[in-house]
Amino acid sequence: MSTRREFLTTALVGGAAAAVAPRRASAAVKSMTVVHESSFIKGFDDFFVKTLSPEYEKLTGIKVGYEPVSVGSMLTRLTTIVETKAGPEIVHTGVNWPHLFDQGLLDVTDVANEVGKKIGPWHDNILDAVVVNKKWKAVPWGNIGQLECYRTDWFKEVGVTKFPDTWEDLLTVGRMLKKKGHPFGFELGHGFGDNHGWMYPLLWSYGGREVDKDGKTVLIDSDETAKAVDFCRRFYQETMLEDVLGWTDVNNNKAFFGEQISCTNNAMSILIVAKRDFPDIAKVTDHGLNPQGPKGRYHLYNPQSHAIASHAPDPAAAKAFLRWLYDDKQLSRWLVAGDAYYAPFLTGYDNHPMWNADPKYMPFKESLKTSRLHGWPGPPGHAMSESVAKYVLCDMFAKACRGDSTKDVITTAAAQLKQIYKAK
Amino acid sequence: MAVRPDLVTRSVPVAVRPRLLHGVLEREGAFSWIMLAPGVLFLLAFVAYPLFYGVWLSLQDRPVAKPGTFVGLGNFITLAHDAVFWQVTRNTFVYTIVTTVLKLLGGLAMALVINQHFRGRSLVRAFLLLPFIVPTILSTVAWMWIFDPTFSVINWLLVHTGAVSSGFSWLGNKTLAMVAIIIVNTWRGIPFYAITLLAGLQTISPELYEAAAIDGASVRQRFLHVTLPIIKPILIIVTMFSVIFTFSDFQIVYALTHGGPANATQVFVTYAFDLGMSGGQLGMGAAAALAMLPALAVMIVALTLYLRRQS
Repeated sequence: MSTRREFLTTALVGGAAAAVAPRRASAAVKSMTVVHESSFIKGFDDFFVKTLSPEYEKLTGIKVGYEPVSVGSMLTRLTTIVETKAGPEIVHTGVNWPHLFDQGLLDVTDVANEVGKKIGPWHDNILDAVVVNKKWKAVPWGNIGQLECYRTDWFKEVGVTKFPDTWEDLLTVGRMLKKKGHPFGFELGHGFGDNHGWMYPLLWSYGGREVDKDGKTVLIDSDETAKAVDFCRRFYQETMLEDVLGWTDVNNNKAFFGEQISCTNNAMSILIVAKRDFPDIAKVTDHGLNPQGPKGRYHLYNPQSHAIASHAPDPAAAKAFLRWLYDDKQLSRWLVAGDAYYAPFLTGYDNHPMWNADPKYMPFKESLKTSRLHGWPGPPGHAMSESVAKYVLCDMFAKACRGDSTKDVITTAAAQLKQIYKAK
Repeated sequence: MAVRPDLVTRSVPVAVRPRLLHGVLEREGAFSWIMLAPGVLFLLAFVAYPLFYGVWLSLQDRPVAKPGTFVGLGNFITLAHDAVFWQVTRNTFVYTIVTTVLKLLGGLAMALVINQHFRGRSLVRAFLLLPFIVPTILSTVAWMWIFDPTFSVINWLLVHTGAVSSGFSWLGNKTLAMVAIIIVNTWRGIPFYAITLLAGLQTISPELYEAAAIDGASVRQRFLHVTLPIIKPILIIVTMFSVIFTFSDFQIVYALTHGGPANATQVFVTYAFDLGMSGGQLGMGAAAALAMLPALAVMIVALTLYLRRQS
């Protein structure tokens, strides 16, 4: 039996030899990985793994892996990838992330322009999300729209056959439905999508804004905001359950499928899951555009895109893959696999056959025209993300709903926004 | 197998001198350091580096994916002027203090019970560990259902026993939401106290109790004058660990309320996560996370000094 010293000597000598052993020079890229937020539409992820990836491997010999990330966790994953400069080279981005990570993402202007020429042009408002300092930092994919999702049968019970056109009309309908035991359930808690999905549009439709275009002038303290807050309080008190104040994104889906609520704000996933798991509910589920307020109708822009991380070992190979992926032959089929869950930003797809699969999908296409990023009209940079992360707007409305005064909640929000936007 | 010359980037070293190495290893000082090296390296890599990197981050304006700018205590000053931060501080202290007291009392009571002799004791001990064994996120999802307004078993029981006319909004009401996360943390933490204290209880010689009983000590007196003094060091250690774990608890709050409603349950770590990861302000996030350090450090130093004095 060897002593500890003998063992250590052997280990150190062996380790040193291994450390300086001959190494093989790096081989050409034979594989790459796409990291993508896992889709609510199973067929979407499956189509990539089972169809697109094998096709590309057959064509080029390059194996493309697919790393799904749970919904709501993609931003964290992207942060670790960009900060450590390691991991998948093709990354999924959402909302304004190309602005946050611009130094960690490659310029893909050439790819975006080529795609735009072939299938576009691109919708104008998508440029706000992906073009940073005149460079495209991601190639836009599709919008996950946040719309009103409601029970047609219960709405009919109170004589409503068409989704209300204004917030006031929706409030009237909500009052009637709550009395009949079918309250509304709009998320007012700390989720990541279904709260912002109606609160920003509500603010905008009353003329309120968080910050001006210059990103320095905080505008939240206004009569328009006060009107939106007052409406929100009535809307909550007269149509909803108390629990919505603590809801995150899973709760409204659960309540809708539990037949506890008659209307909520959600992505199309609620209908698609209903078709799959709750067919009876799916038959009486439909979508409507966000109602309009005194200053117009708005929707929240939730654009999803694909970018190339700057640590990609072979940027040319990564770009070649994106070019192939965004060719109509692939792009079109992948969109169809997504059941119109992702609304493309290319005018060439405005009448894509995927929209014809179900007339209930059409409001998602229509909503693109009136969609804006969270902090609009402010710049889509870090401050915008910080405001969203701190739930400034959500908490302003939520505190008013639980009984705080309009003046107090707006003052608090204004103070937070001034600190975030470094305004005077 | 032949290796192509162009693939060889470095030549093999000539020789390492085992004899010289053997000589170094014969020296006690060098040998000791080599034996300690793995542990020291582990601590440096996984404890010291993250801590000091966190401190360094907190002193910078450091947006994600961008180089940082040194701002000194700027982030801490900004936080000091942030009303939400003070709400977060209050929440964290309330959450930690209340759950620690409940876990301490509950865990001690449980340890005293399972230290008794009764049929099926081993089975009971095993079952009592379940909350601690089940992954936190999994049990928290189960609690989400328990607190759900529609499916809540608590509400169902309260309504069907006639205690209340309608169920509570456990996660929608700011007070009840805090109560909810305290309940879950306490439920999960009690077994940790119980098992650790049970280990302490089992070291107490039965003769001490017999002697106390002969002297006429009541059950209460035996607990206060025999049990408690003996298990006090363990009680302090386990409380210290529990406070640290609770102070930095992330999963329960994040999964159950995500700090809502309107920040009523937001604690240091969830706020730091929102600032750093969701908001992309890594410096500010690090500062928020480090804000808990002074309170923890004071407590740990105080407890360590107390323990040293006791020993």
